[in-house]
Amino acid sequence: MLAFSVKDGYNRECVTSESGRRSLKLLDWNQLAHVGEQALGQALGHVNVIAGRVLEGNLRLGVTGLRRAGKTVFVTSLIDNLIRGGRLPFMDVIAANRFLAARLRSSPDRVSPRFSYEKYLAALTASPPHWPAATTGVSQLRLAIRYLPSSGLRRSIQPMATLNLDVIDYPGEWLMDLPMLNQSYHDWSAHTLELTEHQPRRQLAARWLHWLGTITPDLRPDESLAREGAALYTDYLHACRRSQSNLSLVQPGRFIEPGDLAGTPLLTFCPLPAGSGEPRAHSLWGLMNERFEAYKSTVVRRFFVEHFARLDRQIVLVDVLGMLNAGPAALYDMRMALTACLEAFHHGRGGWLSRLTGHQIDRVLFAATKADHVAASQHTHMRNLLDMLVSEARNAIRFEGATVETMALAAVKCTETVATEHQGRKLACIQGTPLGRQRATVLFPGSIPDGPDLFPENVSQPYRFLDFEPPAGVGRDGRGLPNIRLDQALNFLLGDHLA
Amino acid sequence: MSNANHPASAWLPPIELDVHHTDTDSAAASATATAGASARKTESLGLAALAAWPQGSWTVPAFLGGIAALVVLALAFDAADLMGRSFAASYALGTLVTVILAVTVGTAIKLALDEMVSIRRLRHIDSLRAEADRLLKANGHGEALVFADTLGDFYAGRPDLAPALHALGHTVNDAHSDGEVIALIDRQVLSALDQRAYRCVLVASRDTAIATALSPSAALDVVIVLWRNLKLVREVATLYGARPGQLGSWRLMRRMLANLAVAGVTDSVGHVAIDALGGSLAAAISTRLGQGMINGLLTARIGIAAMTLCRPVGFSSENKPNLRRIRAELMSVPKTVL
Repeated sequence: MLAFSVKDGYNRECVTSESGRRSLKLLDWNQLAHVGEQALGQALGHVNVIAGRVLEGNLRLGVTGLRRAGKTVFVTSLIDNLIRGGRLPFMDVIAANRFLAARLRSSPDRVSPRFSYEKYLAALTASPPHWPAATTGVSQLRLAIRYLPSSGLRRSIQPMATLNLDVIDYPGEWLMDLPMLNQSYHDWSAHTLELTEHQPRRQLAARWLHWLGTITPDLRPDESLAREGAALYTDYLHACRRSQSNLSLVQPGRFIEPGDLAGTPLLTFCPLPAGSGEPRAHSLWGLMNERFEAYKSTVVRRFFVEHFARLDRQIVLVDVLGMLNAGPAALYDMRMALTACLEAFHHGRGGWLSRLTGHQIDRVLFAATKADHVAASQHTHMRNLLDMLVSEARNAIRFEGATVETMALAAVKCTETVATEHQGRKLACIQGTPLGRQRATVLFPGSIPDGPDLFPENVSQPYRFLDFEPPAGVGRDGRGLPNIRLDQALNFLLGDHLA
Repeated sequence: MSNANHPASAWLPPIELDVHHTDTDSAAASATATAGASARKTESLGLAALAAWPQGSWTVPAFLGGIAALVVLALAFDAADLMGRSFAASYALGTLVTVILAVTVGTAIKLALDEMVSIRRLRHIDSLRAEADRLLKANGHGEALVFADTLGDFYAGRPDLAPALHALGHTVNDAHSDGEVIALIDRQVLSALDQRAYRCVLVASRDTAIATALSPSAALDVVIVLWRNLKLVREVATLYGARPGQLGSWRLMRRMLANLAVAGVTDSVGHVAIDALGGSLAAAISTRLGQGMINGLLTARIGIAAMTLCRPVGFSSENKPNLRRIRAELMSVPKTVL
C-alpha cells in the first residue's frame, strides 16, 4: 500500500513532471519566442536610446545676463545664425565644411514654454523692425545640429553626428535671486540695508526707510503691515531700476518681474533690521523670515535646479556700454551683482567623471554685448574694460578649473563703422538709426579709454552710447542675422563638441 | 582711428555729426564713409621695398656685369661677322641666319623678362607675407581690408580662386579687426590652396620614395630626386601664384641642394648597412626601402618649405603643415613596392 502509493506517487509525479515538462517545453517554445521578441525589441529600443544619448551629444548653454543685457536677442540671433549658417565663418565646423544643418526640436522639458524664436525673429525682420519686448517668463528651445565628425575613426562608426543644444531664456531680474540661496534672512536683510546707506540708493529708498523707522520688527505678525512694507520695498526696487544710474543689484527679482507669482504671499516680504537680541518667532520679523525662506525654496531653488544646475557651458552677457552711460555707481553695482550671482554656479573642469557625477560648467565666456554701438576700432578697449570689470569673477572661475574667455560681440549688428573728419581730427564713427528716430545718422559716441580712468573728472557726461534700431531689411538675405563675433563666441562655447 | 590712442589728454566728448545739414540722409554719410575708405586706401602699404635688391659691395656686380657685357659684345661681333659672311656667300643664307638670330635674341629677351616677372612675383609674395605678419601683430583696424584688396588683385587672374575671393568679400565686414580679416583670408582662400599643395607634396614624396627604392644606382637616385623636387617646387609655387622661372628663387634652390647632399649620404649609409648585414637580398631590399622613405620624407620637407615660402600669409600655429600624414603615407610604401 505504502509502496504502491509511493510508486503511485512517484509515477504520478513522474507523469506530471513529464507532462509538465512537455507543456513547459511547448510553452517555452511559443512564449520564449514571444518574450524573446519583446525583450529583443525592448533591448534594441534601449540600445537606440542609449546610443542616441551617447551618439547625440547634449549640451546645455546657460545664457546668463542681467536685465537688458540682450539675452533674448542673443538667443534669437544664435538660433537664426545656426539654422542659416551663412555668417559664422569663424566656427571651425562651418569653415571646414563639416556643418550639415541645424533644426529646431521640441525641448525635452515639457513644463517650460517654448522659446518663441519665430515671434522674436519676426519682430526683428518686420518693417519697420523693432526689438522684442522684455522677457517676462522662462522659455526654452532645443536646437539639433548635424555635422560630420572630424576624426576618421569616429566617422567610420558614425558618419553623421548630432549635437542637441538646449538654450533657455528668462528675465534677467531673476538671476539676481541666485546669491540669496546662500544667505539667511538675517544676513540678506543686513546686506540690503547696508546698501541703502550710500547714495544713490539712500535717496531712492527714502520712503521705505521712513516706513522702517515707524515699525519695530517685534510687532505682532500683521498681514496688512507686511503688504505695506513689501509694496514700499517693491517701489524702491523699481526706482533703482529706473534711476539715472541704472542699478543692477535688485533683489528679489520676482518683485520686479513676478512671472506667475504676482500677488501671492510669497512676494510679500521685505528686509527688516534684526533689532536687538533674539527676535521672537511669532513676530513680523518671524513672518518675513518664513516667507523669505519659502521664496528661496519654492521659487529660487526650483528655478536654479530646473534651469541652471545642469549647465555645461555658460555665456555671461554684460552691457558694458549701458553701465558707462549710467556712470560709476552703476558700474560698481553691476560688478558686485555679477560676482555675487556667478558664485551660485558649479564651475570646474568637465571630464568624463563629472559627466557621471554631475554637471559642471567647464567653459565660461564673458561677452560685452552691443559692440556695434561703438566703432570697430574700439572693440579691443571694450574687451579690456570687460576684462577689468569681471576680473574677480573670472579669477574665481579659473581657479575652479574652467576655461574663461572675454569678447566684445553684438548679436545683431545695427551699425556700420565709418571714418570721418571732424575739426581736423580723423574719427572712427558709427552710422545707424538711433532708437526712436527715422533717419540714419553718423555718431561719435565717445571713446572707451584703455585704462582704469573711465570717468574723467571735468566732463559731465563722457559717454553717450545710443541704442539703435535694427536696420531695415535685416536678415532678408537668408544668411542669418548680421552679427559681430557671434561665430567666435559659438566656436568657443560649442566648438569642441562639434569636432 | 587713432583717437583711441590719446585718452584723457585729448578727450573728445560724444558728438553727433550733423550730416543732414549738408545733404539728405544717409547718402552723405555713405559718401564720407567711402571717402574715408579711399583715404585709407591711398595711405596703404609702402610697397617701395618691393623693388629693392639686397645691396652688397659694388665690386662683385661690376665685375660680373663687365664680364657679361664683354661676352655679349663678343657674341654680337661674331653674329655680325657671321651675318656679313653669309650674306656674302648667298642672299638666301644671309636671310636664314638673320631670322635665326632674330628668333634667338627675341626668345632670350622674353626669357629674361619672364624671369624678372617671376622674381618680382616672389618678392611681391614676400612683401605680402611681411605685411600680413605686421597686421596680425598690430591687430588694428581697417588696414587689412586694403591687404585683402591687394591679395584680390594678386589672384585676379585665377578662376579657381574666384569663388573663394567672392565669398571672402561677403564674409568680411567693417567690424572685423585686422587680425580677424587675415584669419578669414587664411581660412577661406588659402586653406583650399594648402590642401592642393599638400596633395602635390604627398604625391611627390611617394614618387621619390618608390622610385629611389626601386632605382638600381645612386646616380639615378640623385637625378630622380633632383628632377622630382624641381617639379614639386614649381608645382607648389605655381599653385600659390608665384610661377617661378628657371632661375626661380634662390632659397628654394638652396633647400633642394641640401636635400640632394643628404640623398648621397643616405646612399652610403645604405651600403654600410648592407655590408653589416652580410649583403643578403632581404637586407638589400629593406635598406633600399628605408632609403626610399628617407628620400620621400626629404622631398616632403622641401615641398613644405616651398609652401611656407610661397604663401602670401604665413602659416599660423594652428594650420602649420606637418609631416605626420606624409610619414603615415610613406609607411605604406613598402606594401606598394613589394
